[in-house]
Amino acid sequence: MIQFSGVSKYYDGDAVLKDISFTIEKGELAYITGPSGVGKTTLLKLIYCAERPDGGQIIVAGWDVGKLKQGTIPFLRRNVGIVFQDFRLLFNKTVFDNIALALRIHDMQPREIKETVNNVLKDIRLKHKEHVFPQHLSGGEQQRIVIARAMVSRPTVLLADEPTGNLDMDTSRNIMSLFREINARGTTVLIATHNNALFHGTGRRVLYLSNTHIEKEAVG
Amino acid sequence: MRTLIYALQTAMKSIWHEKWINLLTVLSVGIGLLILSSFATVTLNVDSALKRWAKGFGMVVYLDGDLTGKAENELKRLFLQDPDIIGVKYISKEQAVRELRRTLGENASILDELDENPLPSSFELKLKRELLKPDVVKKKAEQISRLKGVEEVQYGEKWLSSLNTLSTILKTGAVFLGCAILVAIVFITYNTIKIFFYRRKDEIETLKLLGATRTFIRLPFLIEGLFIGIAGGLISAVALFGIHSMISFKGADILPAIRALMVAPPMRAYMAIVIAGAAMSLTGSFIAVGRIRY
Repeated sequence: MIQFSGVSKYYDGDAVLKDISFTIEKGELAYITGPSGVGKTTLLKLIYCAERPDGGQIIVAGWDVGKLKQGTIPFLRRNVGIVFQDFRLLFNKTVFDNIALALRIHDMQPREIKETVNNVLKDIRLKHKEHVFPQHLSGGEQQRIVIARAMVSRPTVLLADEPTGNLDMDTSRNIMSLFREINARGTTVLIATHNNALFHGTGRRVLYLSNTHIEKEAVG
Repeated sequence: MRTLIYALQTAMKSIWHEKWINLLTVLSVGIGLLILSSFATVTLNVDSALKRWAKGFGMVVYLDGDLTGKAENELKRLFLQDPDIIGVKYISKEQAVRELRRTLGENASILDELDENPLPSSFELKLKRELLKPDVVKKKAEQISRLKGVEEVQYGEKWLSSLNTLSTILKTGAVFLGCAILVAIVFITYNTIKIFFYRRKDEIETLKLLGATRTFIRLPFLIEGLFIGIAGGLISAVALFGIHSMISFKGADILPAIRALMVAPPMRAYMAIVIAGAAMSLTGSFIAVGRIRY
């Protein structure tokens, strides 16, 4: 589903990622870890084409990402749900509208949008907050909205960048359980985190990123 | 279609949310278009007055005193055959005196002191309207004055030249002013839409990351720009109609002939104002939104 072959990325001549190769299979849930600033976010950005590789090839859901034209990028991103480190919720829209936005982009019928968003809100147990604006929600609730927005259009790949960054342990556990549920429905999930506790004992594959390259692969 | 409806809803919300800046922009566009359309209306009226005056424009060809009737007829035949001349009127020496007596009115008795009729016989020629340009008329007058039996050719050379210059100045002014105002409208709308675009920068970034196409992102801004142009155009058209009606009705109290002399802008001119406003604002919005890069 996600395939990196000898991928490199440089900023101002300095290598951030160098000759990275790995594959994430369809339906897999995997982690990418490493200290802050090692290039985890850059690696995810390469997958959803917010950054372009300086070398190598990236294949995501059949798309050769490095060769995509500007006009085609939105169609790749519709196949890739993203849970951002900084949430990127729109504070002038309600919880319902934040999630519905992803479906409006997909040109879905209003009635279908309403039904789908309501179902998703029930899944993440926030149906009672549909008319609330994000700034009135807790960090954990905001993160669940972000996951709901990323998943509502049923992408084939879900990327999460430090999804529990500012959350307490209990909330983090809930969020991770949401990712497992999503993965159980067949979505390929790749989570970037520096928090070892998130993948310890999960039995999932972990890619250790260090000093521009993948240092090792292990089972968490 | 659903994208268009959503874009319309987003644009309407933004128009309401940013109502003051939108109102100012609409008024600026409206005033700009009103200045332009008022100037065009003045030009239209001056041009129409010129055309009316041109209808009565004549050239007087004075004949030699000793010209025979046969020679006069020969000249008349030449004038009638000339495709540039659309009217030929012969005025005999006797008719000329009668005209002069009528003009002098009470003072006509001074003519009784004369031993003989000093006035020459003449032809009044009317030229085609499209030839009424100073240099063309001058050339024609010179050509006629060279004919055998012609003493002198007279026409309102200075008037023709002055009115023609006035018309040219107004038309050129209208074109320059028009271009300047249309560019200003593009710039005004560009600025407003650019401000809205920057204010929603974070939202646009999120939309891009969620997979929104360029059309999905641009459309609300283009609709908002279009609204500004149409609203400004409508304000300008209504104001122009109001001003024209007021001058036409109130001005008639001071100068009764004004209603008959004034030319109202045609309906298509009002439509052109709205279309120009819409087109220029849409252009400004399009430039403001620019190239969206992912």
